[in-house]
Amino acid sequence: MGMMNMKRKYIKKLFKHKKPYDVEGTNQLFCDAIKENVIHHYNNCDDYKHIIDQAKFDPNTISDISDLVRLPFIPTLYFKRHELFSIPLKKMAIKATSSGTSSGLKSKVGMSYRDLLIGFKMIFRLFKYHKLWSFRRVNYFIFGYEPSKHTDVVIMKSANGFTYVAPAKKRYYALKWDDESKKYKVDLESMKQAFIDASTKKTPIRTLGFPAYTYFLLKEMKEEGIRLQMPKGSIVTIGGGWKQFYAEKVDKVSFYEVVEEVLGIPEKNIVEFFGAVEHPVVFPDCEYHHLHIPIYSRVIIRDPDTFEPVQSGEMGLINLLSPLNSATPLVSVMTDDLGVLHNGCKCGAQAPWLEIIGRVGIKDIITCAQGADEILSK
Amino acid sequence: MILYKGNIYENTKQKELLKSLQDDCLNTLSCTKSIKTSEVIDACDQLTKITLEGKFDHIIKPLIEEYDIPSEYFEKYVSMFSKKSLEKKIAIELGDDYQSLLPLDDKNKRSIHPLGILFHIAAGNVDILPAYSVIEGLLVGNINILKLPTGDKGVSIDLLLELINIQPKLKEYIYVFDVPSTETDTLQVFANMADAIVVWGGDQAVKAARKMAPINTKIIDWGHKLSFAYANLNSSDEDLKGLAHHIASTNQLLCSSAQGIYVDTDDRDKLDSFAERFFKIFIEVNKTHVPVPFGMKSRNAVELYYEKLVQDISKKRIWKQDGISVVTSNDNKLELSLLFRNVWIKRLPRDQIVKVIKPHRSHLQSATILAPKKEYNIYLEKLIQSGLVRIKKPIEMSDVLLGESHDGMYPLRLYSNIVETYNI
Repeated sequence: MGMMNMKRKYIKKLFKHKKPYDVEGTNQLFCDAIKENVIHHYNNCDDYKHIIDQAKFDPNTISDISDLVRLPFIPTLYFKRHELFSIPLKKMAIKATSSGTSSGLKSKVGMSYRDLLIGFKMIFRLFKYHKLWSFRRVNYFIFGYEPSKHTDVVIMKSANGFTYVAPAKKRYYALKWDDESKKYKVDLESMKQAFIDASTKKTPIRTLGFPAYTYFLLKEMKEEGIRLQMPKGSIVTIGGGWKQFYAEKVDKVSFYEVVEEVLGIPEKNIVEFFGAVEHPVVFPDCEYHHLHIPIYSRVIIRDPDTFEPVQSGEMGLINLLSPLNSATPLVSVMTDDLGVLHNGCKCGAQAPWLEIIGRVGIKDIITCAQGADEILSK
Repeated sequence: MILYKGNIYENTKQKELLKSLQDDCLNTLSCTKSIKTSEVIDACDQLTKITLEGKFDHIIKPLIEEYDIPSEYFEKYVSMFSKKSLEKKIAIELGDDYQSLLPLDDKNKRSIHPLGILFHIAAGNVDILPAYSVIEGLLVGNINILKLPTGDKGVSIDLLLELINIQPKLKEYIYVFDVPSTETDTLQVFANMADAIVVWGGDQAVKAARKMAPINTKIIDWGHKLSFAYANLNSSDEDLKGLAHHIASTNQLLCSSAQGIYVDTDDRDKLDSFAERFFKIFIEVNKTHVPVPFGMKSRNAVELYYEKLVQDISKKRIWKQDGISVVTSNDNKLELSLLFRNVWIKRLPRDQIVKVIKPHRSHLQSATILAPKKEYNIYLEKLIQSGLVRIKKPIEMSDVLLGESHDGMYPLRLYSNIVETYNI
């Protein structure tokens, strides 16, 4: 295969498609877009080419959606230990790192200006579908990092990006940069005060960011007997994953309950987003809190022993596919998460939905042998 | 929760209780009727009986399930606290004559006494461990202040409270506080009054303890350790089977679990065929054990897939099936495995054993030797010279024997003083 210019005919077409959950109707288009993206990375990223060649996979043989099962995937681990880029660094709009994991390593992932542009189209379409756009000014409560020159964590970028979905009156941040200690510090106390103030005003609020911080603050407020009624039109959005919750053993239902009890925001106004730095597509949940897969992605759940796809309803490793990114080969990524794909939902979206069970392994297996190794490897 | 003089208090009472702690401890120490070892043993014996009768099943059953411990093992562990067992432990650690030590001469006597106050910083990896550490302190008559590990499920207080109910004199010898590791001011109070700090956990925990301890306070650390197997190319199938059983049953989670196998060869091809031979046995043996938990199997599947992607650079060879694996490589680094039945196999010719292993002296614990009888002693000597303190049969690597040392040391000796006095 010779060098060829980057063509994005099918990718552009896919992201222009008007129905964001028309999975059946876009299967062929998705497949063609993936092929386009695979060939682009194959021609421009030596490490990617090596992986594809080593697996004896020929990108030209992609012709049907079922062929995507054979496409070699790259584990998120790989992005944590290697930098893979298919465009020159100077052409990148964003060079993001993930917000850290149990291993402490972060993925390094790039995005071009063109990726960002079609990404915005996707966000526009999805938010329109979920009626998340608003022209009313709102106060943002961001349970994430206050922007500063000290971090390029992707969560911060997306959280701040989200604040343009509805015009912002004010923005409050839970993680503030402390110049003295040169570190981000959690400041939930001022968030609490701001909630109390907001409940006496007419401007709706929106919360964004790590659900764990939101949950801890609301639980504390509940214990203190604080019961507020947020202005009509207020929305709680959560992203950044539920991962912290698995350890806390907090289920979503108790989260919804505490939001309703303390802030007076009904469950239907709580929107969850699934996203990962290694997968550029966001999945907003539907009114039944199901993460439907939009047409810009496909999800394959794989058996850990064989990596073959499992039946719908069975648990396995979550493999995410998307042709969006041209800067880093995120075309087929194997996450560290376990999940289940389900079909059918009362909300009417035809697309299957993804249930995330949690991170593989046990983060905190504290073993005496393991403790010793931490030292040995220094 | 706080356990203070036999009473349970909420954590909110901590500040108030801390004010009287030192005086209370010193009063106990100056009391003429201090606790006798026999009284502690009797109380433990009683606790053992009621535990075997099922009183603590609500605590123990989940533990047994979590770690997949066979019930005969459990009974064996619990029985280590019976009167007979504890008397034997004391005799082994302190000597048969611990109650009346051989005098130095006609006038100068010797006797064993507690250090005084022990401050235990327990680790959270085994629920039963904090209480165990306190019991060891009690056996030689110490007052014990226990800092509970984060995430303690209440097991320690339940067990220690029961012990106090059996022998009320013990209430002055057991104090339990639920202080987080970040609350250094409080920990400092305990450290300042302690004669020794007993710390369980990784190097981070030990480092923190050293930092807070006054310069001349004794630190007794029970740190994290690693273990491995050493094999000769002619090792028997029986030994390999035994090792496979050990690895499958402990999931490589214990200090004494073999993380990998060193092989006495410098030939990579021979190493690979040895690995293939072991893998076949491992697969068969694994079928007789409960399967690897789904989440761990998935984690390791991704890790091994990654290894495959970088194989041409790493030069590793991977055999995997049913969630278990064997990996050979060119290096000889002693390291943690992926855990849950994933074994590294590396070359380590016999003349390099000491050179490669000795630098890890402070993190070594058990080894097993898989070799024909005539070569066993050669390897044994090298492993001891390298700093290993426990050499066991392959299948018994993690078996616990009454009277065994802790990583080469006897805790009861460390928790006591030898006092020399003269007759007038």
